[in-house]
Amino acid sequence: MENVKNFSLLKSPHQARTLRRAVAAAVLLAIGACGGGGGGSELPAGDLGGTGPQAAALAVVVPTQTEAARFLTQATFGPTSAEIQRLSGMSYAQWIEEQFGKPQTLHRIYMNQAAADLASVGQQLSRANFFDSYWSQAISGEDQLRQRAAFALSEIMVISFTDATLSNQPRGVSSYYDMLAENAFGNFRKLIEDVALHPMMGIYLTWLGNQKEDAATGRVPDLNFAREITQLFTIGEWMLNADGSYILDSSGKPAVAYTGADLAGLAQVFTGFSWYAGPNTSDRTNRRYFGNDASLERDWRSMQAYNEYAPNTAFHSVSPKTFLGVTIPAQTKADSEGDLKIALDTLFNHPNVGPFIGKQLIQRTVTSNPSPAYVGRVTAAFNDNGSGVRGDMKAVWRAILLDPEARDTNSSSTYGKLREPVVRLGNFMRAFNASSTSGRYTGIGLTDDPATSLNQTPVFAPTVFNFFRPGYVPTSKVITDAGLVAPEMQITHDVSVAGYMNYMRNIVTVNTTRDIRQNYSAEVALAGDPAALVERMNLLLFYGQMPDALKTQIVAAVTSRTVPAPVYPVSTAPAASAPLPEPTNQAAIDTAKLDRVYLAVFLSMASPDYLIQK
Amino acid sequence: MTNLNASRRKFLRTASVVSGSVGAAAAPFALNLATLGSAVAQTTGPYKAIVCLFMYGGNDASNMIVRTDATSFNVYTAMRTQAPDSIALLAPGTAPNANAARATPARLGGVVPIAPKFTAGVPGSTPNSAFTYGLHPSMPEVASLFAANRLAILANAGPLVAPMTKAQYQANSVPRPRALGSHNDQQSTWQALGPEGVKVGWGGHLGDLVASSNANVAFTSITVSGNAVFSAGDTVFQYQVGGNGAVQISGISGNLFGSSTASAALRGIVTSDNQNLFANEYASIVKRSVNAQASFQTAFSASTAAAPTTYVQPSTGNAQTNGLAQQLQTVARIIGARGALGVTRQVFFVSMGGFDTHSTQNSSQADLLARLSHAIGYFDTTLATLGGVDMRGSVTLFTASDFGRTHTSNGDGTDHGWGAHHFVSGGAVRGGEIFGTFPEFGPQGADSAGNQYLPSTSVDQIGATIGKWFGATPLQLNTIFPNLPNFSTPDLGFLV
Repeated sequence: MENVKNFSLLKSPHQARTLRRAVAAAVLLAIGACGGGGGGSELPAGDLGGTGPQAAALAVVVPTQTEAARFLTQATFGPTSAEIQRLSGMSYAQWIEEQFGKPQTLHRIYMNQAAADLASVGQQLSRANFFDSYWSQAISGEDQLRQRAAFALSEIMVISFTDATLSNQPRGVSSYYDMLAENAFGNFRKLIEDVALHPMMGIYLTWLGNQKEDAATGRVPDLNFAREITQLFTIGEWMLNADGSYILDSSGKPAVAYTGADLAGLAQVFTGFSWYAGPNTSDRTNRRYFGNDASLERDWRSMQAYNEYAPNTAFHSVSPKTFLGVTIPAQTKADSEGDLKIALDTLFNHPNVGPFIGKQLIQRTVTSNPSPAYVGRVTAAFNDNGSGVRGDMKAVWRAILLDPEARDTNSSSTYGKLREPVVRLGNFMRAFNASSTSGRYTGIGLTDDPATSLNQTPVFAPTVFNFFRPGYVPTSKVITDAGLVAPEMQITHDVSVAGYMNYMRNIVTVNTTRDIRQNYSAEVALAGDPAALVERMNLLLFYGQMPDALKTQIVAAVTSRTVPAPVYPVSTAPAASAPLPEPTNQAAIDTAKLDRVYLAVFLSMASPDYLIQK
Repeated sequence: MTNLNASRRKFLRTASVVSGSVGAAAAPFALNLATLGSAVAQTTGPYKAIVCLFMYGGNDASNMIVRTDATSFNVYTAMRTQAPDSIALLAPGTAPNANAARATPARLGGVVPIAPKFTAGVPGSTPNSAFTYGLHPSMPEVASLFAANRLAILANAGPLVAPMTKAQYQANSVPRPRALGSHNDQQSTWQALGPEGVKVGWGGHLGDLVASSNANVAFTSITVSGNAVFSAGDTVFQYQVGGNGAVQISGISGNLFGSSTASAALRGIVTSDNQNLFANEYASIVKRSVNAQASFQTAFSASTAAAPTTYVQPSTGNAQTNGLAQQLQTVARIIGARGALGVTRQVFFVSMGGFDTHSTQNSSQADLLARLSHAIGYFDTTLATLGGVDMRGSVTLFTASDFGRTHTSNGDGTDHGWGAHHFVSGGAVRGGEIFGTFPEFGPQGADSAGNQYLPSTSVDQIGATIGKWFGATPLQLNTIFPNLPNFSTPDLGFLV
């Protein structure tokens, strides 16, 4: 539900929004007219939804090209020349607001169409079709910030195609991803409710069809979802201060955020829900609870509470339930939905959520080791978006991207993050204007083989603990001693570094058998000027921060691939005004120029200076 | 009875592990080893290798090895027969019912009886010999190895700070390991004796001890299934290889995009020191990969081992490849190449996932255990004639997992538990025996903490027993396993 901000005296939220936007646009336009790179005047706090004063000041900045490229590196699947140009003509805040307003494209609709196309040739939908849709949006979608936000959420509230129970639910999993994207800029409370009730999550964490305790037989409810929604999706294992640091218990160790008893109480809440049955409560029969008489839409519509609506059901626990300081007393009539609301409200309102989720979103986009102050500012935005609303994800994203720790150039040896492999591939596709011949962006598929590929495929994590842990520390004495974490290093090792380089060596080349093809026309045009070609790499891949030594090395490597001089056909002297004939060795020239581009791109994307985003 | 060492360094190390403090440096360890005088473990003599086989997700060991005497089995049957899908395996001697659904207890038939020898003097013989035991019906290879005395059972093992009775558990009077029941923390605890955040595993620590006896230190601690903290040492790195060995980076030599010098440039770019700590770490991984690859791959390519057969998937009846067996084939080939690799002591890590059977446990676990058994059997057969040599006495494999699972069922699966039974196999193992105290099934039993087993054998004791065989001294073992002095038996006796 949209909230009214400073204009609460107006009658309708719609009026308030319209007026607010008109004011903001007018102010922002005025600032934009002042030229790039400058500062701006103060905006009403409501326009920037809870961001602090530093972020508010940075919000109105119109970036230079390199600043824009760096921002886009954090906020999209990768800068393009066009988007760098565009963002250097507007403020960060304008770009962000524009992104919030971009329409969402549903993977589920793509999957329905793909299913129909496949059925017409006797084939079936598979997860490969989701991967096509994923890359279509990641590469060419205009709602880039939503794409990154959804991907980040998919690494926190994880489901995975690797699970046998989901591997044949391609449309269901696609709709789960849609749900994350739909909630990316909404409220966190709705996000965790939609996550909890999505049937794919119900299957993945085995609470769809979970039954209450039975004292006679000794059966107890499955604890799986209760544990993971608590440990991974909302509050985490340890009590946190607003700045993400651990709260210590009396013996100096991090204090636990929950106990086994809390999980057992929550597990009783997560009982009595099952497959979507239909629009009428009378659809919720016992048989449907156990998976029979399937509704055609049950793979993507939210799970439903069965207890109250079907005769002879007894699936939801009516015992007293105690968790996290809350007690739901015994019920005479099961109240599945009421209990769920209490449980989700309790988790949502826990003070841990802001730092626990906020810090991970920073880690997915900006830097692996944000300062406590940075985390604190993002927590503050989560706790209150400036209008008294908790959990406003727009406020969170503004706080993350507009924070000085994100916007200011930082050459500290401990700042930055290893780009995740899937995002690196996105960087490549976008920087070099990849497009799809068929329109379906097909052909990338599984990229999880560390020996030959990226060691990561979207929505394909080994377990609910994602590809890597937020707190992973590589066995490097220097990083350990500095007290730093490097999550993405958990999937980085002797085999994967080689696999990545071999994969990229292949992908950078032009291959007309592929459906997704990069367009190197701008780069080929610079092939005769290695320094200029490398400068273009510098802007697209290093936002202007390519070290001089690396420039020198890559320029030398590019230059070492000689481009043959054109050989013209021997003929009678042409008229002075006649155009030059085509060289007889044009093919060799073209090959050489492309090789130079391949060298520039491949050496750049292999370099640790590219791989570590700063 | 605790026996906390007065040494302050040791206390700090103990404290940091017990507290599970995240992000804290484990710096004092390397210092400790140096002060112990002989930093090198006893590594004269023939080659030895440890193989950790990790079952990710928490294997329901209660359905892997079942006590079949009436006292325990009746409780087992009652508790695990829950609607809609009973997970209680059937009594020994029950014939498989070909009309029952695949992979259900009825279709599989009763548990397969095993006959432990209960040799006098073997720890655990006396209490355990009063009962009878059966294996999950999908594990014929394990049953054979047990009968051939090359596999032993470690009963009711798990992380412990100190021994704990049921009464002490209920009174909370003895410290417990932190974050019990949490996957990531318990994987970390089994592998590295502390919750997520500990950077060095006990396999890596054992590697540190023996590294100097290897000409190629880089090949001391090897994992065939991705990053695992078990394999990470203070000085030895967990060296990663895939099914085809070490992967060569194709661009760093030869012609690269039409240039004969660009490959050298690439090599320089990807291996240079960098002032950013993360970039520098990345470059050092590439450097290690490049430097080790050529020598590793030459030796590895020359070493062969017959590929594993397929196994039969219990749910479908189809023959399928077994990825775990393929990992063990890679390990066998590396062991076969030990001469060319210049190693006399190695630590290996292999793994399989999918054990978190909250639902559909019947079919899931039948398949998982079929693969586990097939792979362990394959490994034993392959080591028997590796390069013409019987290497079985030189290689000890042990299983590990996040935790066991709950006694009761949630309807078609189980939840996270604590204590679990495991296997240890190899020619040096006192096979055909059950070590430790095999517990009575159910919360009423003396070895239960509510709906799960309270371990009576600790991870430290298992690790120390293996470490001792591997060549570590008692002092070194006390350093690697700081809680070891809390237990009266550092050597469980399953290795000769």
